[in-house]
Amino acid sequence: MSERLWEILASSLPNLLLYCVKVTIPLTACIYALSLVLAFLLALVQVLNIRVLSGAARIYVWIFRGTPLIVQMYIIFFGLPSVGITLNAFPSAVIAFSLNYAAYMSETIRASIQAVPVGQTEAGYMIGLNYFQIMTRIVLPQAAKIAFPTLFGSLIGLTKDSSLAASITVVEMFKAAQQIAARTFEPLALYCEAALIYLMLNTALTLLQRYLEKRLSWKQPLTE
Amino acid sequence: MLEVKNLRCSYGANQVLKDINFRVDKGEVIAIVGSSGSGKTTLLRSISFLHKADGGTIRFFDFEKDITRLKGSEIRRLRMRLGYVFQNFNLFRNMTVRQNVMEGLVTARHMDRAEAEKITDAVLEKVDMLERADYYPDQLSGGQQQRAAIARSIAFRPDVLLLDEPTSSLDPELTREVLNILTQLAADGITMVVVTHEMGFARNVANRVIFMEGGVVVEDAPAAEFFNHPKQEATKRFLRTVTDDCG
Repeated sequence: MSERLWEILASSLPNLLLYCVKVTIPLTACIYALSLVLAFLLALVQVLNIRVLSGAARIYVWIFRGTPLIVQMYIIFFGLPSVGITLNAFPSAVIAFSLNYAAYMSETIRASIQAVPVGQTEAGYMIGLNYFQIMTRIVLPQAAKIAFPTLFGSLIGLTKDSSLAASITVVEMFKAAQQIAARTFEPLALYCEAALIYLMLNTALTLLQRYLEKRLSWKQPLTE
Repeated sequence: MLEVKNLRCSYGANQVLKDINFRVDKGEVIAIVGSSGSGKTTLLRSISFLHKADGGTIRFFDFEKDITRLKGSEIRRLRMRLGYVFQNFNLFRNMTVRQNVMEGLVTARHMDRAEAEKITDAVLEKVDMLERADYYPDQLSGGQQQRAAIARSIAFRPDVLLLDEPTSSLDPELTREVLNILTQLAADGITMVVVTHEMGFARNVANRVIFMEGGVVVEDAPAAEFFNHPKQEATKRFLRTVTDDCG
């Protein structure tokens, strides 16, 4: 590799890392937190079978899972201004992503709650617990454990997908790489560099997942 | 103490319980026997409101009401006084044995923690599970899980303990473990209704045996009489089959 290329890579690295820390990570964190809350509510109204809300939740999931994320982003960022709603790029991305991810994640959460055997609920009733206590103390903790690997998978997917926000002008890490590549005419090197940073980020997340899964397991270390 | 009259229950178009009359007195140990599909489990489930009955009345001490008209709060109050042991244990998987037992005392009955701990230790001792109090259900054998489940349902001193085939998913050795505990509880004077296929247990421990077939009570008699001088043809037939099975 030429010396010039090394120089470009070396000088762009701090820049890319800066955008990673300043934009990609906060963007991912905001989206994930919001979609988790929304997904939980969507799942809950379906599990509780609250009449109107449960139907509304199903329609919501149908629409947001059935249309492409990038189209949803374009509608919010480029489309809404024509009806007088103008949002900056960053909040537009947060809203579009959250709405979209919540639809998927709500299905994970709903299925996990329903995967807790009904015998657990029945046993709860028979020791005198009420529905709320059964949900909060028995069903939801067990559902959380079932949902955890899939929900964490969504976080890993989201970290990568956040690069799509570049398409509505959010300058996150990938957009920053794009800009440097355009200036230096070294797209291959720059995009590979960005890819490597995403890979590092997700490696860290994968390790975190493994650690947390171990912490979440309901096993007492057996004394030998 | 506990009585149901004209209890009817169905799964869809299939009527599983047809006008069951059934009563338990204090200190009694009742064994409900019969072949699979005779309605034994449904009977237990409907008197604990896990399965909605189609009709009938329930009396519990001086409380008496149409079973289909019970309010949620009444159901909960009645359940507070019933212990239930499931065929497949149903221990809370996210809790240790100790937490499983404490849950009904502290969360459901708002008992003081220290007092609840004392009771928990005592009941775990009784079922010989104190050493494994800090294990999670997945780390225990079936017999241990069932013993823990029994501890969980006797901890709050229910007026009646209902047991739905408590040994059906256990191998012979573990079955013996659990039956020994139940025999001990019977000796302690705990009122029990046990749905069981264990004829030895029914004969030796139960005061009364109820034989069900096709959703009706065919025979309801003191244990000795039931096994030595059954009145109904169906009972004789049933007893012949189960004794043949035992060799």
